[in-house]
Amino acid sequence: MNDFLDAFLKIQSEYFRRMQLLFILDLFSIFSIFYAIFIIFNVQYFLEQSSLYEYLPNSIIKIITPVLALIIAIVGALLLHKNDHKVNVLLITEKKYPELKEKLRTAYDNRNETNVIIDSLKSLVLSGLTVVSASKLLSTGVIVTKIVITVIFISAATTVSLNPEKYTIPPETITNFTKAVTGDTGEDTNMTIDAGSSPDDQTGADKNGSGNIFGKPKIASLEGRNIDLTIFEGIGPGYNVKEASQEQNQFTTSPVFPADVLGSNVSDGGYSTLMKKTADEKKLIEDYAVKRS
Amino acid sequence: MSNETFSSSNRIFKELFDEIAKVIVGQHEAVEQMLIAILCNSHALVESNPGLAKTLTISTISKALDLKFNRIQCTPDLMPSDITGTYIIEDVGGKKQYRFEPGPVFSNIVLADEINRASPKTQSAMLEAMQEKQVTVGNKTYPLDKPFFVLATQNPIEMEGTYPLPEAQLDRFLLKILMDYPSFEDENEIVNRYTRNIVPSVERVVSKSEVLELQRLTRDVPIAEDIKNRAIKIVTATRAQGENIEYGASPRASIGIILAAKARALMHGRNYVSEEDINAMAYPVLRHRIILTFESERKGMTTDQVVSNILKKVK
Repeated sequence: MNDFLDAFLKIQSEYFRRMQLLFILDLFSIFSIFYAIFIIFNVQYFLEQSSLYEYLPNSIIKIITPVLALIIAIVGALLLHKNDHKVNVLLITEKKYPELKEKLRTAYDNRNETNVIIDSLKSLVLSGLTVVSASKLLSTGVIVTKIVITVIFISAATTVSLNPEKYTIPPETITNFTKAVTGDTGEDTNMTIDAGSSPDDQTGADKNGSGNIFGKPKIASLEGRNIDLTIFEGIGPGYNVKEASQEQNQFTTSPVFPADVLGSNVSDGGYSTLMKKTADEKKLIEDYAVKRS
Repeated sequence: MSNETFSSSNRIFKELFDEIAKVIVGQHEAVEQMLIAILCNSHALVESNPGLAKTLTISTISKALDLKFNRIQCTPDLMPSDITGTYIIEDVGGKKQYRFEPGPVFSNIVLADEINRASPKTQSAMLEAMQEKQVTVGNKTYPLDKPFFVLATQNPIEMEGTYPLPEAQLDRFLLKILMDYPSFEDENEIVNRYTRNIVPSVERVVSKSEVLELQRLTRDVPIAEDIKNRAIKIVTATRAQGENIEYGASPRASIGIILAAKARALMHGRNYVSEEDINAMAYPVLRHRIILTFESERKGMTTDQVVSNILKKVK
């Protein structure tokens, strides 16, 4: 007698399958959007500049952008579909098919009951459900539109990821913009490391900061001009590369100037004679000198 | 039997209304509510001004339903035994013995006219019979016939010398039915019908057993959970609305609304209860179970207005 229930559950499962498809499409769309954004804004570069870089292996650093985009996509898609499980297919069906209004939920709520009235209601609902299709509950047009949007986003993300140099905004532009927004007008406003420079220019340095700091070529952009900051060993006048010495500098004291003062020949003795006098005598002389002054 | 009665219920109710309409002009809502009370195997209280065919309506219904009808005109000196019946001494073969003489309550439909004029003692005897569906005289209990329906009437005017029914006893009535004056057209028709030599009469539509079967079917009408919950919320809202309501309705009102809604659904040929049934039945079920605050009464507010406000609020 619960044929109507089988029919309804079939419609309900079809509806939820369509909802799952929408979830996957949203997941792909959000992933594509964020992955493209990350490439355009060169998020990889900024991540490498952060302190995180020192603690993560290189292999992880390389996949961190797509992983980050995927995490955001999963969270975003879950948030978008967080109320999906609360969807009452009964009420949606009743709304789309007014002839089933109140009948369907009554039959469903009393599915375990049986009497002449309920049985007649179940038969009525079963005949009503024959015209119900999940495609009307969740429009195929909505799904097709979402598929098209997802394809567009995926294509855009693929294009951007295949030609990053074409779409990536130079980091200095972003930095300039950030500084302009934050109002930072420092002297070195225009001096940034070129985006094209390799992050491997410090490969000689280990995590402790020791080792060879004179690595691969490095380009600096100063007021629009690219300047090669490569320090080549032994090149240039008087240039010599030395390791910093660990031993302390030994300073040589300068020759001491004779501390004695020459006498004026007015007194019977020199300064040394004066210094030999007692404290009372020194005091008396000092008072005399003050009065004279 | 159930199948047959249910499949023919649409026809039965249509014929019933058509038959009653031969005698009663208008008052469709009141007639419908009286039939709902009968289908719910409960009782109803009618409040109307004199001369609005209360007695005629209920006697017509009883004839159409092929049920025994009795009328009790309540007065302050009416004794409980006048209702329930009493023992009389009779001579059987030269030997005197007591015989129980059933009172007017031993009927299928009892009209307790102006019940508020009876003394509280008599009212209690009547209400006990309504509740228990049996009468105890002396040390013997007599079950009442089935179906048993009491239609009590109250006159909203001329309240002097009356004993208003206590709230606890009002709660025993499933519905409080209001009968209003007929429209001009209806009154014109009433005058036409009752100023001729031929007095309109009514034919039997259903048998007593069919009435009992319809009562059983009423309880079989299914209701959706959310609609049932809404009915309960409406009743509980009467207890929470402190601004206008002094005392709200009891859980008996929740039962009443759902049962009456089921009867209404059956009467309207539906095999499920609709929200529309709940909304329609909330008024007659709640109007005598709500006690308004003094302030609300001073403002001239009616219980129907309060129920209307609750229906708008409860989703």
